[in-house]
Amino acid sequence: MSWGPCFMYYICPQCGKKFKYATDLIPEFGEAFGKCPACGTMGAFEKEGARTLDDLDYEEVE
Amino acid sequence: MADLKNKRIITVALTGAWPKKENNPNVPMTPAEISEDIYDCWQAGAAVAHMHMRDDNGNGTMDVNKFRETVELLRKNHPDCDIVLNMTTSGDLNATEETRQIHLKELRPEMGSYDCGSMNWMNSGLFINSPKFLEELGKNMQEWGVKPEIEAFDPGMIANAAYYLKKGVLKAPLHFQFCMGCANGIVGNTKNLVFMKETMESLCPGSTWSCFGVGHSAMEIMYAGIAMGGHIRVGMEDNVMYAKGQLAESNRQFVERAKRAIEEFGCQVATPDEAREILSIQK
Repeated sequence: MSWGPCFMYYICPQCGKKFKYATDLIPEFGEAFGKCPACGTMGAFEKEGARTLDDLDYEEVE
Repeated sequence: MADLKNKRIITVALTGAWPKKENNPNVPMTPAEISEDIYDCWQAGAAVAHMHMRDDNGNGTMDVNKFRETVELLRKNHPDCDIVLNMTTSGDLNATEETRQIHLKELRPEMGSYDCGSMNWMNSGLFINSPKFLEELGKNMQEWGVKPEIEAFDPGMIANAAYYLKKGVLKAPLHFQFCMGCANGIVGNTKNLVFMKETMESLCPGSTWSCFGVGHSAMEIMYAGIAMGGHIRVGMEDNVMYAKGQLAESNRQFVERAKRAIEEFGCQVATPDEAREILSIQK
């Protein structure tokens, strides 16, 4: 059984962009984990878990 | 029988317990959808179908009647389909130890999943596979003629399988499914896949193995698995996205890509009967 990837979901307080990071990328991104892919501002954490029902609204950052 | 050294088994994990139509409208949910999808993927090259069921609200369930209905539809509508059926024993975190096994006893699929340890799940719940349950499940699977697919989410679960092998709960040759990139499990990358394989070869020599990566690690694990001599699992249980920003159109799409990768690497896709021989399954 897998539930697919586990994400942390964010919204950018600067530009309003919604995005998500897979939690297994925490070591890879380091301090950049959680930053907006559009403007580089640290995102405001919204929620976490497997793909939520509105998952497609959030851009995946890889 | 042809030389099996260069044969690679494609397992398709069609549904899983989590993704819903909101995540991807192409995820098969009902017995009718799942049975048709199994047939479609078999035609595309899948030798094994890993099956989960959903209740009428789309949530994961271990309802034996859903499994039965799916198998009956497949047998009735597609009697030519000889795919190996592999039923989950972990399709609902709230299922009892009894409901996690009863479908194996009643339906006798050729394979069933055997999750060889407990873990925190998604940092929010518990995925419990107690010693008592694993001993009982292993012995029952031997009695019922169901080949365990040992799902290992980290190297410790491989060590646990070696323990159950020594105790006679599991019987050689073992078959592992390396589940890579799941939260609280081992991170999905090539380095870690090498470590999983070497750990298996050290602790349980003579075993066969397959692998998959969830999310962004899917492609790396698939290609690395093929190159390292492993078998592979694909499908919407693990990935609803076919590529970044692109929803999968079907499970068949994943199987077709896996087939292309295997063949372009210079190997061949195993038929269900070849998979049975590789996995030491008596038909």
